[in-house]
Amino acid sequence: MLELVAQSIVSGIAIGCVYGLIGIGFCVIYNASGIVNFAQGAFVMLGGMVTYVGLTRYGLPLPLAALMSIVIVAALGVVIERIVIRPLWNRNSTAFVMILATLAAQIVIERLTLLAIGDQPRTLPMFTDVPPLRIAGLAFSYQFFWIVGCSALVIAGLAWFFAATKTGKAMRACAINADAAALQGIPVSRMLALSFALSAALGALAGVLVTPTQYTAFNVGVPFAISGFIAAIVGGFGRPLGALVGGVLLGVGQSLAVVFLGAAFKNVAALSILLLFLFVRPTGVLGAAK
Amino acid sequence: MTSLATIWAEARRNPVMPAVWTLAAGLVAYVFVTGGYLIAVLHFAAIYVVFVTGLNIFMGYAGQVSFGHNAFAAISGYTSAVLTANHGWEPLPAAGLGLLGALTCALIVGYPTLRLRGHYLAMATLAIGLIVYEVAVQWQAVTQGYMGISGIPPLGIGRFTVTSDRAILVLLMAFALIGVLAAAGIRRSRLGRAFVAIAGSEDAARALGIDVARYKLIAFLISAFYAAVAGSLFVHAVGFVSPEVYGLHMVVLAFTMLYVGGIGTIAGAALGALVVALLPETVRRFSEYQDLAYGALLILILIYAPGGLASLSRLWSARRKEGA
Amino acid sequence: MTLLRLDAVTRRFGGLVAVDNVSLDIAAQGVTAIIGPNGAGKTTLFNCISGFTAPSAGRVEFAGADITGLAAEEIARRGLVRTFQLVQLFEHLSVLENVKVGRHLHTKGGLGSALLPHRAHTIEASVETFARDLLRKVGLDAQADTLAGVLPYGQKRLLEIARALAAEPKLLMLDEPAAGLNRGETTRLADLIRQIVALGVTVLLIEHDMSFVMNIADRLAVLDFGRLIAAGTPAEVQKNPDVIAAYLGTMEAAHA
Repeated sequence: MLELVAQSIVSGIAIGCVYGLIGIGFCVIYNASGIVNFAQGAFVMLGGMVTYVGLTRYGLPLPLAALMSIVIVAALGVVIERIVIRPLWNRNSTAFVMILATLAAQIVIERLTLLAIGDQPRTLPMFTDVPPLRIAGLAFSYQFFWIVGCSALVIAGLAWFFAATKTGKAMRACAINADAAALQGIPVSRMLALSFALSAALGALAGVLVTPTQYTAFNVGVPFAISGFIAAIVGGFGRPLGALVGGVLLGVGQSLAVVFLGAAFKNVAALSILLLFLFVRPTGVLGAAK
Repeated sequence: MTSLATIWAEARRNPVMPAVWTLAAGLVAYVFVTGGYLIAVLHFAAIYVVFVTGLNIFMGYAGQVSFGHNAFAAISGYTSAVLTANHGWEPLPAAGLGLLGALTCALIVGYPTLRLRGHYLAMATLAIGLIVYEVAVQWQAVTQGYMGISGIPPLGIGRFTVTSDRAILVLLMAFALIGVLAAAGIRRSRLGRAFVAIAGSEDAARALGIDVARYKLIAFLISAFYAAVAGSLFVHAVGFVSPEVYGLHMVVLAFTMLYVGGIGTIAGAALGALVVALLPETVRRFSEYQDLAYGALLILILIYAPGGLASLSRLWSARRKEGA
Repeated sequence: MTLLRLDAVTRRFGGLVAVDNVSLDIAAQGVTAIIGPNGAGKTTLFNCISGFTAPSAGRVEFAGADITGLAAEEIARRGLVRTFQLVQLFEHLSVLENVKVGRHLHTKGGLGSALLPHRAHTIEASVETFARDLLRKVGLDAQADTLAGVLPYGQKRLLEIARALAAEPKLLMLDEPAAGLNRGETTRLADLIRQIVALGVTVLLIEHDMSFVMNIADRLAVLDFGRLIAAGTPAEVQKNPDVIAAYLGTMEAAHA
């Protein structure tokens, strides 16, 4: 039993990092604009899907297909920002209207994918096709290391980006005070587009990392979006590290719920954690960002 | 003012409205007389009129947000379905229990949820809707999961049942009409004023003695009641239920209707439901293009006409009258 | 008779003391004005009294009952109604409907009377009459059906006060009612306040406009850095050296 629990914690950490990456995507857009982008899940779905298409229909090697997928999805993020978010932003629409619009965008993307590719679940091969590593009696698949490794790199990369680069600092300025940023000559609207591109890329990366361990299909977007949102909330909707921590907590919590309560409770557990945090501590585990 | 007078007053102020109401009435009459497939479409529309009118009370009048009212429709609908199809209950007591269940859930969930604002409130209500959906899918022993429950008997009392398409249409339209009249009555009353005051300024409302938390909960419960009624009506009118009926599709559809009609107006909710239900050719078969179209339509409306049909007619009036 | 008693009322925000040990008695009848430089804690004091924030220490007594820390809507129910520094109207409702909301406390009826037109009819008729009468008294009856949001600022102020009056308060608290008004509007406001007092309503207001305050107030209380530094008649307060120091001659300038 103990081994089962420990093993599920291991897989919980892996899926938790994926949730965390999605959650960071939410935070990036939210911090740049105050919008909760419900289409985030679509980016995750497409990350895996486009890679699959690149791999099977065009015979590209996996790393290239994955990279191409991330770039394409990032571009899609900008497209969404331009045609859906920008007009609403310019009209000073309420936060609710924007959430609703992104939800509608999620549905449109989902349905287009269904029409283009069909409803069969697809999967990707593991990155390293080698038996899992055994450490202390627990199995660690290589995909685990890929996921955790990439997540760590992403956190480090984002930290560096926001602290050290001009663009990154400009984005932080926009988050703190868009008007003041504009007066300083920062192109706020370009920052918004960039935040969507970054967020979409993160989502796509998450999708690419997670698909080998399960599958992707036109309708996996919404559950991933929700998990990412929960990660962001649990982490406090601010710093990227918080979302990662939140994601891992969610992933582990969910895994344990499945062990003790059964597989049927997987999503209910996640949603209940969300409600719990919203009701009791909406500022998250680490507290609200500065 | 009576409810009818309220609707009439609202209609008089927007020159286009009387024409639209007449058109709608004419359409219903035409479909009733000619029969055929469109009757089923109007069944669907009438049920959504009830759902959306209730949602409008919570979101349009009181200015709150809910992505999860489909939960209450599901609770009541599934209770009706399970009790009548699997346990041989009479429709009315089963629906009664369903309503009670939905209202109890709304009461329990309402207290903590309504203290939230903005996107926190939106996500909490979404989570509630999704939890109920998950339960519908996973609790297979009761709900039969994705397969759904079929063979649900039609509405009726004892041996007198409503089975013909036309009879069902009359019944559903009656419910829709009562729902709309009740919403109009609420808007014109002290209760409705408290709701719109909360939407206008919570602080000012409190300074005038309005218990904002309590009235938000009342608005929530009333709209949950409407949703529950719609939920039970659906299962009896269609004879079949599955989790997809009350899923995200319902949420997007309801919002599309709300925004097409014009959020906040009495007429808007009802007309939005009629218009959106009649737009596509098929309704019962969940066509692949349908959700795509609704999603795209919703985006377009949110960007270019967020006030909906009701606001388009306001462009005619020079001075907007008593806000509805 | 003391209508409102403040007993060592204090409000801290972390390290900042916004209201510092304020004790004051406000008599029923007449106009009391709370004045002081910007940031002196006047609005925070208002919030403590009216229930929009709870005092960190001290006691607030209204009409003989302890109202410290009660919810704002409960305090309003007892007859204390306030307006806001930034006008809080129901912008999407008409002028008439704004005032009708003010009748909430003095009418009854919930879902039942909403659905049964017969019961609603009598309530609604009385609310309508009262509201229209009130609008006539303040001079807004011509705009009864106009949307509150499109009114010019001076009339928005007027509407907010009329709406507060509809609640038939014992104590009306006005937060900077003259802010943003021109000379003519300020004169009309002063007249309105005198009318309100004549009806038996006690008025407590915060204000910056010195000539307005000197004109209308029976008693003054001066706040500086959250502390009460003087209280008394306008003549007495004007001569108070602490007050002069806090204001650096503003009061003399107003009388010039």
